[in-house]
Amino acid sequence: MLTKTMDPAKVLKVVGTSPVRPDGVPKVTGQAVYGADTILPGMIWGKILRSPHAHARIKSIDTSKAAALPGVKAIVTGADLPDHKFEYVGPERVAVNYWHMTRNILAREKVLYEGHAIAAVAATTPAIAQQALDLIHVDYEILPHVIDVDEAMKPGAPLLFEDMITRGIEPAPTTPSNIAKRLEFSVGDLAKGFAEADEVVEMSFTTAAVHQGYIEPHSCVARYGADGQCELWSASQGHFVVRAYTAKLLGMDIGSLLVHPAEIGGGFGGKTVVYVEPVAVALSKKSGLPVKIMMSREDVLKATGPTSGASMTVKIGVTKAGKIVAADSTFKFQAGAFPGSPVMNGAMCAYACYDIPNSRAVGYDVVSNRPKSAAYRAPGSPISAFGVESVLDILAKKIGMDPLELRYKNAVSAGSPTAWGPKHAHDGFKETIEALMKHPSYKIPLGKNQGRGVASGFWFNGGGESAATLHVNEDGSVVVATGSMDVGGSRASMALMAAETLGIPYDKVRSTVADTASIGYNHVTGGSRVTYATGIAVVQACNTVIEDMRGRAALTWDVSIDDVIWEDGHAKLVAGHAGDHAPLSLAAIAAKRAVTGGPIVAEAAVNAGGMAPGFSTQFYDVEVDPETGHTKILRVVAAQDVGRAIHHDYCEGQIQGGVVQGIGWALNEEYVYDKEGHLSNAGFLDYRIPVASDLPHIDVVMVEVPNPNHPFGAKGVGEVNIVPPMAAIANAIEQATGKRMTSLPMSPPKVLAAIDG
Amino acid sequence: MTAAHIVLTSGFSRRYTNGVKEFDIDATNVRGLLKAMDQLYPGLAEILEEETAIAIDGELHEVVYTQVLRPGCEVFFIPRIEGG
Repeated sequence: MLTKTMDPAKVLKVVGTSPVRPDGVPKVTGQAVYGADTILPGMIWGKILRSPHAHARIKSIDTSKAAALPGVKAIVTGADLPDHKFEYVGPERVAVNYWHMTRNILAREKVLYEGHAIAAVAATTPAIAQQALDLIHVDYEILPHVIDVDEAMKPGAPLLFEDMITRGIEPAPTTPSNIAKRLEFSVGDLAKGFAEADEVVEMSFTTAAVHQGYIEPHSCVARYGADGQCELWSASQGHFVVRAYTAKLLGMDIGSLLVHPAEIGGGFGGKTVVYVEPVAVALSKKSGLPVKIMMSREDVLKATGPTSGASMTVKIGVTKAGKIVAADSTFKFQAGAFPGSPVMNGAMCAYACYDIPNSRAVGYDVVSNRPKSAAYRAPGSPISAFGVESVLDILAKKIGMDPLELRYKNAVSAGSPTAWGPKHAHDGFKETIEALMKHPSYKIPLGKNQGRGVASGFWFNGGGESAATLHVNEDGSVVVATGSMDVGGSRASMALMAAETLGIPYDKVRSTVADTASIGYNHVTGGSRVTYATGIAVVQACNTVIEDMRGRAALTWDVSIDDVIWEDGHAKLVAGHAGDHAPLSLAAIAAKRAVTGGPIVAEAAVNAGGMAPGFSTQFYDVEVDPETGHTKILRVVAAQDVGRAIHHDYCEGQIQGGVVQGIGWALNEEYVYDKEGHLSNAGFLDYRIPVASDLPHIDVVMVEVPNPNHPFGAKGVGEVNIVPPMAAIANAIEQATGKRMTSLPMSPPKVLAAIDG
Repeated sequence: MTAAHIVLTSGFSRRYTNGVKEFDIDATNVRGLLKAMDQLYPGLAEILEEETAIAIDGELHEVVYTQVLRPGCEVFFIPRIEGG
């Protein structure tokens, strides 16, 4: 329920500081247990056979020779998993179709991309498992393939699904295509809006599919007992969702599957789905032994979800005075081999920063012979922003207006309309623009071959279901447990919020992530929801404990609970109360827990709404080498509304991390396919993510416009920072070279070709 | 009781309410709202619960029965968003 819980006048002692994270020492000393580190007695090794073809019909799979190999304990194919009804379940953007999902886990009728899993073997050693894979014979009928999204949409393109009819078009098409869905958001009168414009720019853009680039490949260990009870150790962004998907795919009761959250080596959205977990459970069930599966980097790049590449056309009209009067765009997103790109998000976010009276955003979700796309930081928003924010830059030049000024003149605030219906309820965007306008670096003169580009971005942020428990130990220390996987430092932020609420030092709080049998449901760590939603649950649990403490103090003092307040970690008598009792600390009350009623425990569960969106505005100074086309990032200033920073340094780190990933997306990262549809750069040597030497210091400006719906005013900080970089860098390159880059990545060969062209 | 003003997306209204996009419904919380809409269009409540989020005067929420509706508030049912 929405309650205005924040007191903006309250002076905070712990929230907003930057203590060492609880998981820091284990991680830097190598003691942290990641998914690949779990070893169980009797454990055997699973490996997965993957398709060498981009598109082929599976005529038969012969596993007999592999099964006969000594040391092989189990083999599974798609036929060993229960099939599922063809239906879309759940919210439209993330609608799950288990008919599709089970075919992505292990192919059935067809393989749809190079690297598509076909069969899995569990053996006593990894070498034997690999040897067994080589003995599996798959008889393929190779089919024509299609990689590019525009090619996939053409009539006559090879069809991944011969019966797929585009959803969202009425009347429904009568012929199948690779277009899984069409959607549209529109407001106002486009013709009227463009008629009012003094300048109109229409331009087409493409973006490349890019991987989240998490350092830790997917891995898990499964143990399926003879009693039908199963345990799974998995690194993911949500062990409850891993449990739900795995149980559903295998036809298990959810209660029979316990998922332990391993430490996670990065996710960025890519670990909100399952790949190896159902396979490991199936192999363990069949073999009767614990099974570990670890992906290689090549597996990760070939078979797990990148975010979509896209093709788009953006048309925007503006008056000479700088009012954006109309916008009309079409976004075509690669879904990968199964429907489900973030095109809806892209269409909804495209104009969300701006008050535009007439707009339309049309989206297409298109399948092609690539791995199924997965979420990646603010999924969809960075893609549409590349087009929209590039066109705005061109328009600003045409009307002779500073690009920040143009954005400021059209910036949304609370009460501004959105293209998808409701009004904005929160401020925060204008403040990010003002922060850059005032920033001294924005005035630094540029040299030869140098340019400065700005761009802005929007992301919804998240709320949703979270649970937390709080235990007060007998010495007054506190344990906070949640079911939210700690991807970006949430254990620290939960401890900070608990310490602040209880009035105790940060180091008296131990913050943990509990397994699926030890706490209530928590949705994934994604969408920038945990500090908000799980934070609310933690604070509610703390407040329940405070009430309990007040009651116990009242019992000890023989007074009414109404005569007891909680202040600075102590129960105190209200001012003016007759009596002489020294304040009781949390530790003092905890020491008498037995006689005052037993263990001091609280739990809270929420389905949190009222989250506020994230806005970011950034500028980049670049220098382009006219001889090589190489773009050097000289300076980055990234302003973002964080609501209120709970852990100051981690907020800064989130923003810097998003910027770095955006720089990679802008300048280098792409999937390179050969003519046969094989991925040519499935490794970090050839799929080039940014390294420290590519980067300048990233100057972060945290704007704090608190969200009154959160106890401390927090807004999600993990996503919106990746939205502006690609367009901002393109805008900077244009200023440096006079050439407009419309295709990502803006790698040296492309920039050089533009300069020479 | 003062009515809340309800708005559906074009897609939802086309599929489920014969194209009617806007309603005024007397309800003090989301449960009451869904119940009233389900009486108008049987089965709609379950679809809205499953597939949408709501924006109440612009504030985004999951569909939660106990969510209070301020008299005269504007309620949009919009597609639910998930992130990375």
